[in-house]
Amino acid sequence: MYEDEKTQQNLYAFKPQLEKMSKWGIALIVFLLLVIGFGMYALYIQVADGHIVTGMRDNVVWGLYIVNFIFFIGISYAGALISGILHLLRVPWRTPIIRMAEMITVISTMIGPAYILLCIGRLDRLPNLVLFGRIQSPIIWDVIAITTYLSGSIIFLYLAMIRDLAILRDNPVKNARWRNPIYRFLAVRYKDTTKQKELLNVSTDLLSIVIIPLAILVHSVLAWIFGMTLRPGWHSTIFAPYFVIAAVYSGTGVLIIVMWVFRKIYHLESQITKIHFNYLGIIMIVLGAMYGYFTFSEYLTSWYGSIKWDMEVLYRLFNPSEYWHLFVFAVFFGVLVPIIIVTVPRFRNINSIAFAACIAVLALWVKRYLIIIPTLETPMLPIHDLRPEYVHYSATWVEWALTFAGIALFILLFYLFSKFIPIIPVVRSGEEKDYSRLRKIVFEKQMKTVIKQHKKSDIASTIVLILLMLGTTPAIMAQDEKIEPVLNLAYFHADSVHKITATLRAKIEGRYRPLPDMEINSTVIQGGKKTTLGSALTNEKGKVSFTIPEEIITTGGDKGIYSFEASFSGNDLYTAASAGTAMKPLRMEMSFFQKEEEKMVNLKVDELGADNQWSPVENLDVVFYVPRTFSLLKVGQASIENGSASFEFPTSVPGNQLGYVTLVAKVEEHEQYGNAEVSGTINWGKPLPPLKVVKRGLGDTDAPLWMVYTLIVLLSLVWFHYMYVIFTVFRIRHLGKS
Amino acid sequence: MKSRSSNRRNFLKLGIAAGATALVASGGSVLSAITGNENKETGEMIKVLTPDGKLVEVDKGHMCCQPASNLESRQGLPDKKMVMVIDLAKCRNARKCLEGCQKMHHLPPHMEWIKFYLMRDSEEMAPYWFPKPCLHCNNPPCVKVCPVGATFKRTDGIVLIDNDRCIGCKFCMAACPYSSRVFNWEEPKTDKSLNPAAYSPETSNPPKMGTVSKCDFCPDMVRKGELPNCVASCPNGVFYYGDKNEDAVTNGTDTVRFSELIATRAAYRFMEELGTEPSVYYLPAVDRAFDYTVGFEGLSEEEIALYKTEAEITE
Repeated sequence: MYEDEKTQQNLYAFKPQLEKMSKWGIALIVFLLLVIGFGMYALYIQVADGHIVTGMRDNVVWGLYIVNFIFFIGISYAGALISGILHLLRVPWRTPIIRMAEMITVISTMIGPAYILLCIGRLDRLPNLVLFGRIQSPIIWDVIAITTYLSGSIIFLYLAMIRDLAILRDNPVKNARWRNPIYRFLAVRYKDTTKQKELLNVSTDLLSIVIIPLAILVHSVLAWIFGMTLRPGWHSTIFAPYFVIAAVYSGTGVLIIVMWVFRKIYHLESQITKIHFNYLGIIMIVLGAMYGYFTFSEYLTSWYGSIKWDMEVLYRLFNPSEYWHLFVFAVFFGVLVPIIIVTVPRFRNINSIAFAACIAVLALWVKRYLIIIPTLETPMLPIHDLRPEYVHYSATWVEWALTFAGIALFILLFYLFSKFIPIIPVVRSGEEKDYSRLRKIVFEKQMKTVIKQHKKSDIASTIVLILLMLGTTPAIMAQDEKIEPVLNLAYFHADSVHKITATLRAKIEGRYRPLPDMEINSTVIQGGKKTTLGSALTNEKGKVSFTIPEEIITTGGDKGIYSFEASFSGNDLYTAASAGTAMKPLRMEMSFFQKEEEKMVNLKVDELGADNQWSPVENLDVVFYVPRTFSLLKVGQASIENGSASFEFPTSVPGNQLGYVTLVAKVEEHEQYGNAEVSGTINWGKPLPPLKVVKRGLGDTDAPLWMVYTLIVLLSLVWFHYMYVIFTVFRIRHLGKS
Repeated sequence: MKSRSSNRRNFLKLGIAAGATALVASGGSVLSAITGNENKETGEMIKVLTPDGKLVEVDKGHMCCQPASNLESRQGLPDKKMVMVIDLAKCRNARKCLEGCQKMHHLPPHMEWIKFYLMRDSEEMAPYWFPKPCLHCNNPPCVKVCPVGATFKRTDGIVLIDNDRCIGCKFCMAACPYSSRVFNWEEPKTDKSLNPAAYSPETSNPPKMGTVSKCDFCPDMVRKGELPNCVASCPNGVFYYGDKNEDAVTNGTDTVRFSELIATRAAYRFMEELGTEPSVYYLPAVDRAFDYTVGFEGLSEEEIALYKTEAEITE
């Protein structure tokens, strides 16, 4: 197959590329591996020591990595949009550049997401994205979109390679023992029969249709990571199209650079001509103009609206001591220089267009930096930090090392790929050119070098972590004087339980603090006679309670008065302390009744007289409380007259779902009665409304249904086409059997 | 009567508070807390109200104390809706809240879950101090963007982080308009011996490298019926904390009706216009107890200068 002269000439021209590697090529590979190796060392440092080794901090949480992420995904547009659209429009001059464009897509779509991984604090937990993924999060949109996009790009690149793989299978490459079987396998018995040709063409067309909207979606989703936040400078509705345009612009720029480089190193002057540079240059400046238009629209809108926070970001960008110079470069130079170079015929040549592309690509990288960093440095609340690294971002060597490692990896993969398959499609390429000159040049450039086994770069570097042990010698303070603690004793009576509570505290470092685990003795004094109630240790609040046995209460005390004492015998640190209290027991009863419309509480209070008989209390103030989570909420008070008082029930107080509320009536710190309380519970409170559970919200575990449906529809549409194309490849293989 | 200490009044208040918090107004939390946990018994019995209005005695150990597991932490405390009210009129930038918070959560000195701003909206306006914990939004931008559900909004209004699930993408930090979140950029330098308990999202401890943390509204303390340390440590009673469903908030000394407090003091929520619906309410700095310059006490020269620049104070 492909016995036509031009294809054979092409093959003849390109085979040396695949068979030989120049000294410079090997030097390049070694150099790139060194850069990548250094990046790996930086990565090791970052994983071991944490993200503290980067310039990222609490405000600027994302730095160069995200910039690179957007950059690489951006340049991946070269393949998707440029090659997709050129293919669909059957643009005749596309053939020599289409494979480079697709390679850019595949390689940069592989490298881009690696940068988002570098931003992640816990790489070990990546499976959580699958285990607990929430499709409400733009990060999950990104994960899904990019994997789908990468799969599509690989299939697209592969489809476009099948013809060349077939020709390489039929004309085995020298010095490529392990590559030839791969060519054979990947060529899927393609013999360019009419049927096979048709199937391949249909699949390629189909995929180029699918890949265009998919590419737009991928970069929109990427923009939405920023657009969905409430941050000034990010929360913009035009962010998605803005990112898409910026991406195609930079993708075209990278394609021009790649063309220029391969044209030089593989001497493809006859294949990639000035026409390609001119046409792509024009596409680039049209995109550049659109990018400029979006930029103008974006900044004009926020400047004109002049919302405080938007203005703060703008001030930063326009401040000569901050980002003004970068801004001028990214926005003015990055648009105007390429436009001037390409539009003015005097300036327009291959080298200048490549230079313009360099400017555009660099400007776009800087623009991404200006989208990320100044916005993160301008939160809505001022950054209040004395540490300069928390206020201003500056990338560390680790981040730069990994940035260059990414670029090196891009170049390396590209170079190796060009050694695997011709960088320009062999079949049907360069329809109208004569190859005699080219062939000569290629032959002259043939080197005797063979592909050498690369030495495994020795990255055996041991890192010794010196741990500075801060010797913290505990300062043992000699306690010259003992501290005098304060012991309090209070009587409590609640729900027929009588108890006394002692609290031991001491002034330490200017504040009264409870003393736990101290032994407190308590006694009751009756007729001058002391009876021990017991001894116990204080709890963490310095408290200890002693229940007073009922038989002591029934003795009647000294004319109805009971005296208690508590004492602390002291220890090495604290002196002894004691406290006493005396009280009269109360009997309190609470009842609820309804008088017409009014809901009332009745309180009956009796005291134990000297005769050991209960009699109504004459006068006493009582406070009503409702217990809440942390404390008692005062809801009112009442005065007891002749042993009883009525109180209007506070019906506005919320109770539980059934409206049950506990009401506590308290006598507090009374001279005679100490503390006493009684409580009652009734469903007169305001019932708690049932919990409104909003399911499938943006913040919930389950996503809103429209989101689920949209995702399912989109994904199945795309993957159906992928599956169809893969099936077609199998059919091609099957057809090749006969 | 005899031998009355001058501290008795304060003590009694404390005593009452401790004794009565037992009467939990809603029984759901208790019942769920009682079933199926192995909390040790403390011997201290407290009374709780069942949903149908019966009082039952429960050992305090069943109510609390064991940190909630990661899954349990995703359930809000039943029938609760925690809110905070910050009285700007009483704040003098003493920073005791932060001190208390850092102590309680074993945070390194630079990790601040409560941040302080000297606010001044325009030149004519008087500067005032503005302490800001996590606002526990009801429409939290941070929760929306989390790719793995590591940060979540509970039914009781609290926004928590599960540091065992967090992948450290920091998207929540970028999404939070209030700069409430901080990142563990390196292995946390906390003394593990001080903090031996197993990890729980409710205690946010021990912290984990490469994950996000923030103010957690202390649900572990709420379980115990105790106030968070920021509230308890504030010398001026600036922070009120409580359950909106109970319509009560307390700063440790005073307990007030939440609805009345925010109505009479014209409370507002910070940056309401963002639609985040915070759970933290601010009482405007009217009739201030302190001049703002009092807040400069104990600050370094640089810090004062920074505050003055931020608030555009020229003297």
